[in-house]
Amino acid sequence: MPKTSCRHTWEMINIHYGFIVTEKCYTCEKISTYYSFEDRPPLDEYREGEHFWNVMESAQSFRFDFKCRACGQIVPFDELMGLMMCTGCDEECQVEKLQKKHAAERTWIYVAFGFLPTDEHRQLSREKISILEDFFNQRRKSSTSRIKIVSQELVKKYATCFGEVIKDVDMLSLKPSEGK
Amino acid sequence: MTDKSARQLSVQHIKEALQAQVVVGENLADTYVTGIYASDLMSDVLAYGKTGSALLTGMNTIQAAISSYMAEFKVVVFLRGKKPTDDIRKFAQEKGLVVLGTKADMYDACIKIAQIDGQLSASAKTAFGSKTEREKNIAAHKFSIDSKDFTKAGMISTEIKSILNAIGYDPVLVRRVAISTYEGEMNVVMHALRADVSLKASDKDISVVIHDEGKGIPDVEQAMQEGYSTATEEQRALGFGSGMGLPNIKKNSDLLNIASEVGKGTRLEMKFFIKPAAK
Amino acid sequence: MKLKEIIDKLALTSLSNLEERDVQGVFISDMLSDVMTGAKPGNLWLTVQTHTNIVSAANLVDAAAVIVSHGKKVPENTIALANRYHVIILSSTKSTFELAAELIAIGLKNQ
Repeated sequence: MPKTSCRHTWEMINIHYGFIVTEKCYTCEKISTYYSFEDRPPLDEYREGEHFWNVMESAQSFRFDFKCRACGQIVPFDELMGLMMCTGCDEECQVEKLQKKHAAERTWIYVAFGFLPTDEHRQLSREKISILEDFFNQRRKSSTSRIKIVSQELVKKYATCFGEVIKDVDMLSLKPSEGK
Repeated sequence: MTDKSARQLSVQHIKEALQAQVVVGENLADTYVTGIYASDLMSDVLAYGKTGSALLTGMNTIQAAISSYMAEFKVVVFLRGKKPTDDIRKFAQEKGLVVLGTKADMYDACIKIAQIDGQLSASAKTAFGSKTEREKNIAAHKFSIDSKDFTKAGMISTEIKSILNAIGYDPVLVRRVAISTYEGEMNVVMHALRADVSLKASDKDISVVIHDEGKGIPDVEQAMQEGYSTATEEQRALGFGSGMGLPNIKKNSDLLNIASEVGKGTRLEMKFFIKPAAK
Repeated sequence: MKLKEIIDKLALTSLSNLEERDVQGVFISDMLSDVMTGAKPGNLWLTVQTHTNIVSAANLVDAAAVIVSHGKKVPENTIALANRYHVIILSSTKSTFELAAELIAIGLKNQ
């Protein structure tokens, strides 16, 4: 990305709604995720070479770009699948260590994660993660808390991470929760 | 103000308040809603949504349309500029569900509707007026039924329901009037040639009189027993004929006067009392 | 407007620890994706969602507090997570629409 002397102030543009689809191959158990722009999430099983993909989950999500209000620079965030908040589940994990360090000053640690498998998808660069962090911190006017966003590379064991993913759950369930 | 109070909110009011576009239901601007439900969780809409409501939601999926329809909602408003998809439009058109789209977000939408609702409630209060002994007449309407037209059966009770809802009577009361009128209408279609229907509404009571020309009821008392049916085979096939409906009318009305003469016809007078609003 | 004033005027129940907060505006949605794109810092967030991820969303967008409406029961683990991460969770048996009408009535404009 071109270096500028602008102290960027970011706004979210080109917000587009779609689905994040999680698939699993029932032969090799490989997991794949991707973003779908369709009105309805694709749910059919299909074959791709040696893989037989089954849809495990589809979650409503959105895609966006950032634009600097000052200089007009646009930064796309197609690599971002989601954000999750560290809940401190593994003492050995770098992310939890960071969370413990920053808890007193109310800096909350979030992990930006990309699509799976990580080696087959372009992941968010450090620069983009920093922009994402700036966006959420710039919006905190008089707040006493801050956000720090880190790469999923810091997560010790991603498969068993208990981070709170920000996503809609059970939106299509027909079972109402207790209440009125 | 709660969303349980009697409403005079129509699609037209909501459309203007939210500067919304009518995506489906251009000709249904007069549709009245009895409540507002603001939610993105369709399981709640299905479980707790009340008949005749308008849904405000940011969830523009077919589930929102289907859930609204199943919960007997009249209107779905998609917020934040989210465009309803083609399958939503198609479904809504088929089912007679009004669909609006607005740029407003949910809080904005609630504010604007609450404002309009406040204005409408205020004018309804002046219609009922302050406590005076003299009964204030609010509405008087006349209709007629021709029993040859089976397919129109039930239209008058639907119209009366709309009129009373528009004035702002308690929805439970209106439902009772509508059910009683409907049964009376069906009786005319099944047993008489034609009838005159009159509706009088005041701040004390609502009265519906159905006066028909027909064969009359030989034994009113027998007809009042539940389950007594004189419907023909054809009528039963269409779902009518689980009794003359008189017991149902009696159950739903506060006062019922029946006068009948065999060979001439029947005069049914139903009265529904307006209970003073609880403070 | 101070959060305490809102809690008192609307007779809200507090499910988590409380502290002084300044509220600016209201955001209503049950879709976390909408919260991420639409909520502003200092907003009072009205929702029927009770999953632990509302804590995650609330902190990301710097919501002043979350009001769970329609009398939805909030599970213990959500409250525990909220307390750990200083998210304030309030409860009301009123519907989202009713609460919105009351908030407007006490003067909380949209921001």
